Amino acid sequence: MNESTVLSVADLKLSYGDNPILKGVSMDLRRGEVISLLGPSGSGKTTLLRAVAGLEQPHEGRIVIAGKPVFDGKARIELPAEARNLGLVFQSYALWPHKTVFDNVAYGLKLRRVSAAETKDRVGDALKNLGLGALGERYPHQLSGGQQQRVAIARALVYNPPVILLDEPLSNLDAKLREEARAWLRELIIRLQLSALVVTHDQGEAMAMSDRILLLNGGTIEQQGTPTEMYSRPASLFVAGFMGTNNTLKGRIDARTADDVCLDLGEHKLWGRRCGTNAPDGVGGEAVGVVRVEGVKLADGPGPNRLPMDLVTSMYLGDRWEYVLDSAGTLVRAHGSEALDAGRRWVEIPPEKLWVFA
Amino acid sequence: MSTPSTALNAGHDGHGHDHNHGHGRRRAARLPFPTTRVAVVGVLSVFVLTPLLLIVYQSFLSGAFFMKGSSATLDAFRFIFADEDFWVAARNSVGIASGMAAISVPLGAALAFLMVRTDLPGRRVLEPLLLVPVFISPVVLAFGYVVAMGPVGFASVWAEHVFGTVPWNIYSLVSIGIVAGLTHVPHVYLYSSSALRNLGSDVEEAARISGANPLKVAVHVSIPLIAPALLYAGVLMFFLGFEIFGLPLVLGDPEGHLVLTTYLYKLSSKLGTPSYQLMAAVAVCIIAVTLPLVLLQRLLLRTANRYASIKGKAARQRPLMLGKWKILAFAIVGAWLLFTVVIPLAGVTLRAFVTSWGEGVNLLDVLTLDNFRQVFEDRTMVRAILNSVLIGVFGGALAVACYAAIGLSTHRKHDGLVRMVDYLVMTPRAVPGLLAGLAFFWVFLFVPFLNPLRNTVISIWIAYMVVWLAYGMRLIQSALLQVAPELEEAARLTGASAGRTLRDVTLPLIRNGLLASWLLIFMIFEREYSTGVYLLAPGTEVIGSVLVSLWSTGAVEVVAALSLINIALVGAGLALALRFGINLHK
Repeated sequence: MNESTVLSVADLKLSYGDNPILKGVSMDLRRGEVISLLGPSGSGKTTLLRAVAGLEQPHEGRIVIAGKPVFDGKARIELPAEARNLGLVFQSYALWPHKTVFDNVAYGLKLRRVSAAETKDRVGDALKNLGLGALGERYPHQLSGGQQQRVAIARALVYNPPVILLDEPLSNLDAKLREEARAWLRELIIRLQLSALVVTHDQGEAMAMSDRILLLNGGTIEQQGTPTEMYSRPASLFVAGFMGTNNTLKGRIDARTADDVCLDLGEHKLWGRRCGTNAPDGVGGEAVGVVRVEGVKLADGPGPNRLPMDLVTSMYLGDRWEYVLDSAGTLVRAHGSEALDAGRRWVEIPPEKLWVFA
Repeated sequence: MSTPSTALNAGHDGHGHDHNHGHGRRRAARLPFPTTRVAVVGVLSVFVLTPLLLIVYQSFLSGAFFMKGSSATLDAFRFIFADEDFWVAARNSVGIASGMAAISVPLGAALAFLMVRTDLPGRRVLEPLLLVPVFISPVVLAFGYVVAMGPVGFASVWAEHVFGTVPWNIYSLVSIGIVAGLTHVPHVYLYSSSALRNLGSDVEEAARISGANPLKVAVHVSIPLIAPALLYAGVLMFFLGFEIFGLPLVLGDPEGHLVLTTYLYKLSSKLGTPSYQLMAAVAVCIIAVTLPLVLLQRLLLRTANRYASIKGKAARQRPLMLGKWKILAFAIVGAWLLFTVVIPLAGVTLRAFVTSWGEGVNLLDVLTLDNFRQVFEDRTMVRAILNSVLIGVFGGALAVACYAAIGLSTHRKHDGLVRMVDYLVMTPRAVPGLLAGLAFFWVFLFVPFLNPLRNTVISIWIAYMVVWLAYGMRLIQSALLQVAPELEEAARLTGASAGRTLRDVTLPLIRNGLLASWLLIFMIFEREYSTGVYLLAPGTEVIGSVLVSLWSTGAVEVVAALSLINIALVGAGLALALRFGINLHK
């Protein structure tokens, strides 16, 4: 932890009864940084966010916000949510239906005893910043989903919290709107120099929006890093499988060198990179090869790291075609730019694109 | 032969020429409503409207409705409007009703917030205790206050010992209002807690994050959002304030405070002769207040539903952490429980086991079981206990069957008949049990073929069933709501008729709901007292009405023992309900 750390979580543990949800999670968020908490449902990502917010009770560990410990299991410090001075954008937005947009945003200032005139200015600025200038007198139910989301963000920002927490901020928007909102949100976070912790289950969203990604699995951090690191150098089969769209090939290890292994798929053999912490060292053991769909190429004839497969069907996806190929029950998907007829094809998987985990 | 249906037929029986085969009989032309539904609604309207109309009719006659010389007149109203006691009683009723609403609504909402939305310790244990006053007869509760906090009550004697004086007078009008308010807190609690349960916890968490402590969350967010439910409960409290009978009867008697219901009750003894038209006129005055309020409630319910549609999307419920507020919250709930449940029930229990009580009496010297011996030696009281059990167990089952018949006849239908049933079901709520009992007494007295039933428990059962119609229907309807429409639609598409679907799908699915309703109706029937007051005759005694009549004779020991037996019966029901996890929130 250093000067610029605005949020620090150390070895946080939390259980519901006997059921451990967080099994010792540590992370640091620096000023002006956006971190995504990514993971499948039940991985503990939302619980971690809520524990930081003070809405869940951890039983061990430490949470420090802007230099102030807000939870410390050993020192028995636990600040209630209202004393942590955080902003949280709820998945459901949680706008108060009985208050106008202005009153929704102004509430945090009212509780902080900000004068009426200043409140008016600051709420006005916040609304303007979020493109909601003229909607102050409306009630939440008179707004569209996208506008509601902006009000929720304005409400969380207006009292300048050191960290803003966003719980699945885009999941309530239509698919079309979601991509626009993603770009807008990223631009907003950079423009206002916010430090943000974002929960999401969508890897695309996480990569687009954040400086760093924390991938959680079963209550622990599986891997953390920049989006490029996470996507191109997965540390485990789980991370490889979670990021991107993949083909999975199961086989046995036939031979190995320092960095590479040869995966025996039965009739065919492919060379790939050794990956993961328990990198395969023996020969003959079971192993799993993972290759991104975009890493598979169709070739015109036999060659190194190529195998023959039957093209079952071509699917039109608008900007490209997706081919479904089959070899003795193993399905492989690949992308291409034209429709292809069914039949025998050669598939090339370059060794550097095939990650082999044991 | 080219249409798919005939092709199917041909394939089915191998004879392509048999055109009519497989088409079934042509349906008989349908009435707009099936006869069974019309019959159910018809019977319902007879049971609900006859007593009500009879009261109104009687109030405009010069004498009893069955006397030859009676003519139409406004004399009855003129007489009571000229009676000063009537106006005193009316003023007291308004005062008590307002006080009741003013006390029970904020307190009920606060308790609901603490129990539903916070991590208050011991919620599971507190919850059923909180609902106890709903199931205990108000006469018993009132009696409990008399023996605990009356001039020589247990708590009063203790207070005098500590403070040198008794700092309260339980018989004053203000006390009656306070007791009525506190004992009706659970009613408000029921409405507000179910509204709070429907509220997503995210809106509260958002307030918490913005910097609001639990108290501010409640005041700024939770309570405003359930305002429609609270308004509804407030109206309910106000008209229940006009209907209460047991509390003002027992607590108001010593200092002669009358309310409209007790004024009606005392009317015959006041004049020396039963004057039906005067009683009816008072009854009409009470209904003139309560019926519009019931209608207003219905209107409010409709707006409340509209409001409920804009709640938070994620209806996940997470209790708000109280932190240091825990102790204060626990103290509020505890203080209310102490005053409303512990003190009166402890009073009754203690009094049932002692021969006498007063200053300087040693508990060990006066302990006795004689009070119970006295109860069980008296044939009337034994019969009352037996009748109460019979009415609760068998009457309750039959009542649930009748309510279910009404419920099923309107299930998933939206037509004129359903709207009519809605209003019919609502109407008895506006008629206090005392008045309904009186009206049914007249009906049984006067309709020749019903006369033989008058001195049997059947008369009591019918009156009870109509008085609790709205409650019973709510139980049935909430059970029916649990059945997903797709389950019934799937049966219809598989080929079951509407009736068949009810029998094979709906009924089996609501079986547990019906059993739960039976238990709740049992408890309510054990608790009921005012409806049986005018129907009380040899053969129709039930514990509640016997308690009312015994109270006026001053037989405190027997009243205490009988009250405790009543509590035990209700308690048995409550224990069963808790054992089987039955939802008491209805």
